[in-house]
Amino acid sequence: MRILVSWLREFVPIPVGSNDIGELADALTMCGFEVGSVEPRPAIAGEPTDAVLDLEITTNRPDCLGVLGIAREVGAIYGVDVRIPELTQASGSQALDPIAVTIEDPDLCPRYVGALSDVEVGPSPAWLVERLEAAEIRPINNVVDVTNYVMLELGHPMHAFDLDRLNGREIRVRRARTGESIRTLDGVRRPLEPEILIIADAEQPQAVAGVMGGGNSEVSTTTRTIVLEAAYFDPISIRRTSKRIGLTTDASYRFERGADIDAPVRAVARARQLLAAIGSTKSDSPIVDQFPKPAAPVIVQLRHHRIGHLLGQVIDETFVISILTRLGFAPRTEPGTAPPIWKVTVPTFRVDVSREEDLIEEVARHYGYDRLPPTFPALTLPASPAGPWRDRDQLVRRVLTGCGFSEAITYAFIERRTALAVHTDEQDIVTLKNPMSEKDTVLRPSLLPGLVDSLIHNRRRERQDIRLFEIGSRFRYSDGETPALALAMTGASIPQHWSGPERETDLFDLTGVLTQLCDGFGKEIILEPDTADHLVPGRTAKVQLKIGDRTTALGILGQLDPEFANAQGLTGSAAVFVAELDLQPLTTAAGHHLQATPVPRQPSITRDLSIEIDEALPAAQVRDTIRAPGGPTLVSVKEIDRYQGQGIAAGAVSLSIRLTFRAPDRTLTDAEAQSSTDEIVSALVLDHRAKLR
Amino acid sequence: MPFGHRHPLTLIREQVESIFGAMGFEILQGPQVEDDYHNFEALNMPPDHPARDMQDTFYLDQPMPGGGTLQSTRPATLLRTHTSGMQIRYMESHKPPVRIIAPGLVYRRDTPDLTHSPMFLQVEGLLVGSGITMGDLKGTLVTFLKTFFDAKTQVMFRPSFFPYTEPSAEVFIDCAFCEGGCAVCKQTGWLEILGCGMVHPAVFEAVGYDPEHYTGWAFGLGIDRVALLKHRVEDIRLFYDNDLRLLEQFPH
Repeated sequence: MRILVSWLREFVPIPVGSNDIGELADALTMCGFEVGSVEPRPAIAGEPTDAVLDLEITTNRPDCLGVLGIAREVGAIYGVDVRIPELTQASGSQALDPIAVTIEDPDLCPRYVGALSDVEVGPSPAWLVERLEAAEIRPINNVVDVTNYVMLELGHPMHAFDLDRLNGREIRVRRARTGESIRTLDGVRRPLEPEILIIADAEQPQAVAGVMGGGNSEVSTTTRTIVLEAAYFDPISIRRTSKRIGLTTDASYRFERGADIDAPVRAVARARQLLAAIGSTKSDSPIVDQFPKPAAPVIVQLRHHRIGHLLGQVIDETFVISILTRLGFAPRTEPGTAPPIWKVTVPTFRVDVSREEDLIEEVARHYGYDRLPPTFPALTLPASPAGPWRDRDQLVRRVLTGCGFSEAITYAFIERRTALAVHTDEQDIVTLKNPMSEKDTVLRPSLLPGLVDSLIHNRRRERQDIRLFEIGSRFRYSDGETPALALAMTGASIPQHWSGPERETDLFDLTGVLTQLCDGFGKEIILEPDTADHLVPGRTAKVQLKIGDRTTALGILGQLDPEFANAQGLTGSAAVFVAELDLQPLTTAAGHHLQATPVPRQPSITRDLSIEIDEALPAAQVRDTIRAPGGPTLVSVKEIDRYQGQGIAAGAVSLSIRLTFRAPDRTLTDAEAQSSTDEIVSALVLDHRAKLR
Repeated sequence: MPFGHRHPLTLIREQVESIFGAMGFEILQGPQVEDDYHNFEALNMPPDHPARDMQDTFYLDQPMPGGGTLQSTRPATLLRTHTSGMQIRYMESHKPPVRIIAPGLVYRRDTPDLTHSPMFLQVEGLLVGSGITMGDLKGTLVTFLKTFFDAKTQVMFRPSFFPYTEPSAEVFIDCAFCEGGCAVCKQTGWLEILGCGMVHPAVFEAVGYDPEHYTGWAFGLGIDRVALLKHRVEDIRLFYDNDLRLLEQFPH
């Protein structure tokens, strides 16, 4: 809302010189009307320098979308009286017969005021043009300009029709009929429907009520008589219409926030006064005011003690009364109340005030938020610890950053094509009704695509060694929104350094990280071969969590299929390893029920085995075969070397395994360890046709 | 292998959580897909309320199971525009006193630019009890801001409008980039940092609290905005590129 300071001064004596408008701007800002800028205007002859205030008006204050509303605030700020000039209804000869007005739908239009004026259409005088232009409203002709002027001054939108273009001298406020349409003033032909309120003549629509007039009855240089309209329209109806036809105007913006139901007669009278003043009109009609159900004024109770109760500061009674009165409220003290209770009559232009707290805000705004004393609220209850999700996520971050992974946060919306590539169930993909772009139209069913995008971003910036993870929500119709973790790693596993050879990341690096992660939660993972469209066959595993004797599905890991990676835009040939886990099974606190076992006092014995075995055999299965005959003295099994190539049969792999034996109560003998080792070898030979090397 | 780095937004979020945690606030997490009731209606924003325009919303084509990992009988129809829904859920299941913060990702259909992202991280706080005042709101937020930024930070409260608070305020801190005016603070010397206010009685009524008996306040803080200001990052979108050259500048 842009207004001239000189216009404000017409309504209220501002005790601030024209060189100190910044002070006025600060004062308005500090009571809730942010002044974005103060633009100086050149002085018109004999006048002090002027300025345009660019005010931000919050949606709850449609009354301040006009000079008068701001003037009331200024009056309250400086404790000065607002002058509202008296208006007479008749400004001309009253030679014309009144226009017939029928409201067919009083729910959507509770009040309609219409009046005729004979006019001479032409350009507006310079002072009027200046005020409109300051508000960035384009001058059109004196009639239209006057309606806009009144809107800027009183905050109440108006419209003018060319009477001669109406069928029959009548106005009907009704819902549009199916099949009707209107060409609005912007030249667009718009289909109408019964949800839309229109202003019609005896036959056809002439305006979309409260939004925009029709081109047919537009005021032009040939117009001789106008119908001035000022009405009150239901805010929800205007808002819906404005959204439905995709048109927001100065009028709809005000009506949908709530106009002043008592303003229409004043608006018409003011418009006629202005038309007379600029010599555009000489005769007019009586004003027709259709207002079938005038409402009783809103009265809100305000208890003085409640102000201090809410603000933490007792505010002087006289200050309360003075501020409310200057803002247009009428507080009346209830007899015999101390501290006082007021019955406050709310003016019709304050559509935002309906409760005691609303009035307290009025007082607080003008008292000044900065004058309220800061205090600290007493703690009456100990805080509960955060949910287990917080410890879980922090632990995941700790382990993964320790493993060299940096944290990513990616957008929740992704491409449908990509979503389907990682989650093939089309029925499960959640689609957005109004996506931001045509590209990212679905909610991610998996975190992987986002993480791959971040990988691409980094690779395009010549980064080869990348480890990223993300903790976030994924969305599916089947199981809703669930917390997940995704990891991606590529490039060197051991970076180039003089201390040793460089090594590329492989699948075992990934399984190692996941083992570390689950170990952080005091849990064990089990991997089983699996397949997925976006992962390389034979290098894909289902990740399960071992909880007691049960297993719970945790997710999937593997090498990213190069074709999928390419389709996403990933360049370069280095293999990418990824995993995605459901975080819910990891939510229970780690080590919560752990009971420590005594630290071993006895020495242990180690035995190394080298066996040749089918390469397709899952490691977990081999470990189980070793553990069964190993008995309770076998305390650890470690794969210390893996070799394929010369000397090893095709399809086989050579594994070196280190076995550690220990008894809790005695020193184990070599013979006992050897006997267990022999049994393990026999089991491997028998179950897996392993060859001892 | 050198250590990886936590995301800067995580670092800020955890700092905010620590400060409020020390002031006795419980840290909550809630679903990002919400129903209209918890995101708007219970917050005094009935359908067709013009204030809904302040938060341009992403809607789902079809409703999906709501509540995330919490139980919910209402299917989710939109991406939450703030984490206030979590405050409603908490009040629905807990009697006062209430002292919570709810951090999380939120979504608004804003065209991306230097300071806007359609997804961003927010933290909201809520305190409800007997005799809670706007002075308490000021005292708590001033303490938070001085702890988070700098003991010398100047804090200013200014009237504003939110449908779910009355009175409502915007909070500003003195611009750390200049002395008296620069492009970041638009020559005002002040930076808007958060929105807050006394909980609107209609919100209390929606969750079955008696507004005569209880008062409270709420605030909302954009983590991204704070991160931009605190670490002088020039573009909010950088936070979602996950460029290691940015991430690696932050501590582990």
